[in-house]
Amino acid sequence: MSGPVVGFAGLTHLGLVSAVGTASKGIRVVGYDGDSERVRNINAGMLPVVEPDLDDMAREFAGNLSFTDKLADLAQCEMVYISTDVPTDDRGQSDLSGIAKSIESVIAALNPNALLIILCQVPPGFTRKLPLPAERLYYQVETLVFGRAVERATKPERFIIGCADPSQPLPASYAKVLGAFGCPLLPMLYESAELAKIAINCCLVASVTVANTLAELSERIGADWSEIAPALKLDRRIGAYSYLAPGLGIAGGNLERDLATVLRLSEQCGSEASVIAAYLTNSKHRRDWALRMVHREVFSRKPDAKLGLLGLAYKENTHSTKNSPSLALIENLHPWPITVYDPVVPASAAAHPKVTAVPSALDVARGADALIVMTPWPQFRELRAADIAAAMAGNIVIDPFGVLDGPALRAAGIAHFVLGKPERAGA
Amino acid sequence: MLEHLNQAPSLPKRVVVMGGGGFVGNGLTAHLSAQGVSVVSLTRKDVDLLADDAATKLAARVNEGDSVVFVSATAPARNAAALMQNLRMAEAFVKGVSAKAPAHVVYVSSDSVYADDANPVNERSYCQPSTMHGMMHAARELVLKNEIKAPLAIVRPSLLYGASDPHNGYGPNRFRRMAAKGEAITLFGNGEEQRDHVFIDDVASLIKLVLSHRSRGVLNIATGVSTSFRAIAEKTVALSGQKSDIVPTARQNPITHRHFDVTNCLKAFPRFSYTPLDEGLKRAASADQGAKA
Repeated sequence: MSGPVVGFAGLTHLGLVSAVGTASKGIRVVGYDGDSERVRNINAGMLPVVEPDLDDMAREFAGNLSFTDKLADLAQCEMVYISTDVPTDDRGQSDLSGIAKSIESVIAALNPNALLIILCQVPPGFTRKLPLPAERLYYQVETLVFGRAVERATKPERFIIGCADPSQPLPASYAKVLGAFGCPLLPMLYESAELAKIAINCCLVASVTVANTLAELSERIGADWSEIAPALKLDRRIGAYSYLAPGLGIAGGNLERDLATVLRLSEQCGSEASVIAAYLTNSKHRRDWALRMVHREVFSRKPDAKLGLLGLAYKENTHSTKNSPSLALIENLHPWPITVYDPVVPASAAAHPKVTAVPSALDVARGADALIVMTPWPQFRELRAADIAAAMAGNIVIDPFGVLDGPALRAAGIAHFVLGKPERAGA
Repeated sequence: MLEHLNQAPSLPKRVVVMGGGGFVGNGLTAHLSAQGVSVVSLTRKDVDLLADDAATKLAARVNEGDSVVFVSATAPARNAAALMQNLRMAEAFVKGVSAKAPAHVVYVSSDSVYADDANPVNERSYCQPSTMHGMMHAARELVLKNEIKAPLAIVRPSLLYGASDPHNGYGPNRFRRMAAKGEAITLFGNGEEQRDHVFIDDVASLIKLVLSHRSRGVLNIATGVSTSFRAIAEKTVALSGQKSDIVPTARQNPITHRHFDVTNCLKAFPRFSYTPLDEGLKRAASADQGAKA
């Protein structure tokens, strides 16, 4: 096979998915990670991340993929993406020490003409400071979405590329790799591209916050946000793909990181950014919706209620529990025994003194006074209302994302509480 | 938010209540005493915090390792003189208590420290008082935070009601007393304003929890349910069995509401639950009748 060889340094969620996605375009890919066990597992077909279609695609394009724990193997690449994780602390601040070390070692291993492309989230100003000639150094915006990562990696809407001088053409090898994806290329200054990534997330947070704010109001005044959102999506100024589903605040870590970065930069340079702080305030408030609901609807009536909880992951189709609303809820339910089930995350992820793992979703409902659905896994939708009602001891279902069949539950005598739906206590 | 230094609750052996004669102090003293805690309840007669020897006198009543609750105030502080008096009281309190290394200090502040439009109020809401009274509490909080070495908890109660309230301010207490006498209840406007009314016993229970957990930080004392003055007037009249009229008046001021987000209390004390308004009003009414009999 001819054509450029592309390296990915860091077989993280982002690195692995991007490597497989690139290989699927007929491009030879070398995936490197310093963690030998991780590399052994990947080579044995045991991928450390859960994403729809990822395993199948990795098998299908195995011929284009090689994984290694030897840094020197990156010397065969014409370009190497830095795809290590940039961890964040509780306040969403990035710890850049790991990526700095990783970049240093990769630069040392690069072929003298190879390009280095920063793919992970770095604050504006980071790329320009790296010790590499401008014509070999790029930043590329990643738009990984947990649970939809393969789709995003194989069918990107566009590539946003940070360069020292956007008026210069991209190196031919890089243009060829990006061209394989058949989407628009948007070269711009390093700082613009780094901020573009943050701008995308700020827009997403803005729409989610509108949804969360008005969903809460809907609950209180008897409106139904699920009727309103489709009307908004038909407005071209808002858009069919806008993020208008209400949720339990913003979670996952990356959006919070970007908001923290905007707040920090605005504070440094004196620009006005109070709306960003308001997004965070609203997010913290909505995150505890289920906790307030369980106190109001369950414990106020039955102080020793038994709870069943479905879902631990921070969202469906992922093993990630970072900032998971489910785990945050569980942390505040210590006095009450809970049974839990998640298709992927083990019950041990829940820091709770009285947690019992059960083997199926329906088992969670058995004997429970209240059932709480904290992650909208698709398989939970298959639960039948009649089975739930028969299994439960009580009649309260707190289902923020509306995973279960509301009308059927109500017909079975269950009070069903959903984000953005009118509160019908005891309905 | 509160941080519990005692994860497992354990009541302190001795609690000094500075301001034990007032509505909150009295209720707290009774509640703690009933739990077997040795309570030193100090009123102005015991230690006058405005007197020159206040700090020495207070220090003489506090032992090392005591938990100390500071609830005395010249309230409501409506003018500069009252503001300064209250600050001098705080200064004397800090000086007296600091002489004895207490294990824990609890300050009973007020939700008037928050901005009027801070809905829904939680413990992270900005303090931006619009009244002299609110500024007084905010300033005292700062004095205590700066100068008390022991772990400090600040509780900020919303409007309180209960049988033994010596004040007769607009709200459940006055309405109940008017209704008991069959007299008309006069509302500001039509009583549209919604407020969060807390039954006095809940304040004592929550301060007891704060003391047992040796918590530090801030906790609002509010039920999370706001009710209009009109609804409260109707409830009190219904409970009284009398036929008091509820009389609206021409509105002088715009309608404002106050709502609380009480999530932090659910996290700090998951097992605690507030007395619902209907039950609290009933208990206050029957306590009034008991006092009369």
